[in-house]
Amino acid sequence: MTAIVQPDRRHIALWGVALAAPNALYLTLVLLIPLGMVATYSFFTYSTTGVALPVLTIANYAKLGDPYFLRLIGRTVGIAVKTTIICIFLGYPLAYALARARPTLATLGFFLLLTPLMVSPVVRAIGWFVLLDRNGLVNSVLMYFGADRQELLFNEPAVLLGLSHLLLPFMVLPLVASIERIPPNVEEAARNLGAGGLGVFRKVILPLSLPGLVSGAVLVYVEAASAFVLPALLGGRFVRMIGNEVFDALLVSYNIPQASMLTVMLIVLTIGVLGTGLALSRRGTVGRSAP
Amino acid sequence: MTLGSKSLAAAVVGIYGFILLPLIVVVGVSFNTSSRFDFPPEGLSLRWYHSLFDQPSFLHAFLNVSVAAGLVTAVVATLLGGLAAVALVRFRFPGRGFLEAFFLTPLVVPHILLGAALYLYFARLRLSASFATLVISHILIATPYVVRNVFAGLVGLDPRIEEAAVNLGASRFRAFLLVALPQLRSSLVSSIVFAFIVSFSDINVALFVSGPETTTLPVYLFSQIQWQSDPSVAAASTIQIVLVALVVAGLQKVFRARIGI
Repeated sequence: MTAIVQPDRRHIALWGVALAAPNALYLTLVLLIPLGMVATYSFFTYSTTGVALPVLTIANYAKLGDPYFLRLIGRTVGIAVKTTIICIFLGYPLAYALARARPTLATLGFFLLLTPLMVSPVVRAIGWFVLLDRNGLVNSVLMYFGADRQELLFNEPAVLLGLSHLLLPFMVLPLVASIERIPPNVEEAARNLGAGGLGVFRKVILPLSLPGLVSGAVLVYVEAASAFVLPALLGGRFVRMIGNEVFDALLVSYNIPQASMLTVMLIVLTIGVLGTGLALSRRGTVGRSAP
Repeated sequence: MTLGSKSLAAAVVGIYGFILLPLIVVVGVSFNTSSRFDFPPEGLSLRWYHSLFDQPSFLHAFLNVSVAAGLVTAVVATLLGGLAAVALVRFRFPGRGFLEAFFLTPLVVPHILLGAALYLYFARLRLSASFATLVISHILIATPYVVRNVFAGLVGLDPRIEEAAVNLGASRFRAFLLVALPQLRSSLVSSIVFAFIVSFSDINVALFVSGPETTTLPVYLFSQIQWQSDPSVAAASTIQIVLVALVVAGLQKVFRARIGI
């Protein structure tokens, strides 16, 4: 090893700060200050003429006791939890296959997973629109088997389908990363000791891929809880989530304090869960360090 | 592949069907002759592509807004995020650990929150929705991907090659420029492409910060599908699907490996 020519340390620190400063400044101006502003607005008084009256109140939060808002929060959390469960069930087989596939097959598999991920959520919602339309594929199949034409859009199952489809890659990618780290001979050992396919999954894959499962589940939950394009298109007037309420309060009814309060609620419901999940997954990794 | 190979293979094929079906029907319907979302299509035609390219509002949203915003976002985000990643990997300074987490926050804050906050912020600053507000917002959501990509690229470099250049008389800066930067080419290319795609497919932020003159392609599609849904919406979606598929395939080909998110 050759010695590195080290300039003096203060000089180095200064360069580091100078290079990081533009991005730090950017995030402060465009992320921190706007989010701080929203938090402040949520305690301001509603005004019919301006943005909001700078008179402090907790009236916006008191509205949370309203049955309408309680149902809204319950529906949002319910849809997010159901979406997460669906993604776990669909995500495991796919992630396991991708982690253990031959390289050429894996390349194709990732291509088919990543392309939909990068297509706009609107385009994917349009896909479900077309599938579930009165003249769409699902109705064609139903009618072929003699059933009546059904209205399949604008209900909760349609929203769940759309959200699971949208967020499945967020579950699969961390799971693949976790499962790849499990040496295949651990599975073989379990099999040689008499475990069947499900036994291997329950005793080996599941416990050793737990960190990937937690980070995938947290990602899916957060994205699902804050969805609003999918429920707006596939749920219509009937399946409203907090995101839709925020959008309407801001751009339709122009009730800034209420929109801000709902935004803060969404932060609590998502980033609160995110923080807990990350803490859990860290403890999980330490507790059962993978071989 | 083990673990009940046959049933696993069947499950995986089924799940890929679920993933791909909505995109396949969109492409199918876009070649429809009828003016409804009939699937299977009644006949094949390019009718909806013609009607799409006859709409100036579509061309404006696609080229003048979405592609243009994507390009500006890609360049600026790669600069901001690239410099930040170099600072994080190559230098030790107070607050470095905090900044490492801070630079990734736009990734964990749900985009509707960013959109709502930016909408209020721009209103407060009396900036009406324009190309500038759109690009400013897209740069915010694109930089974390750049930071992560360039960070990983820098960590993977072999420091001995750069040290050799320094020992042969190059300055640290010159060694970085001539030795490290060329090796970072793949991270930089994928950063630029990712930043472009983040901007190009974003809807959650764009709905709040794009104005009537700066409707992006996803926002255009969002309002079209709600008010007049004919297969020209599917044609526009098909164009996006094909573009994204080409980009992903290109990236995979260039790096001969899989790309992470």
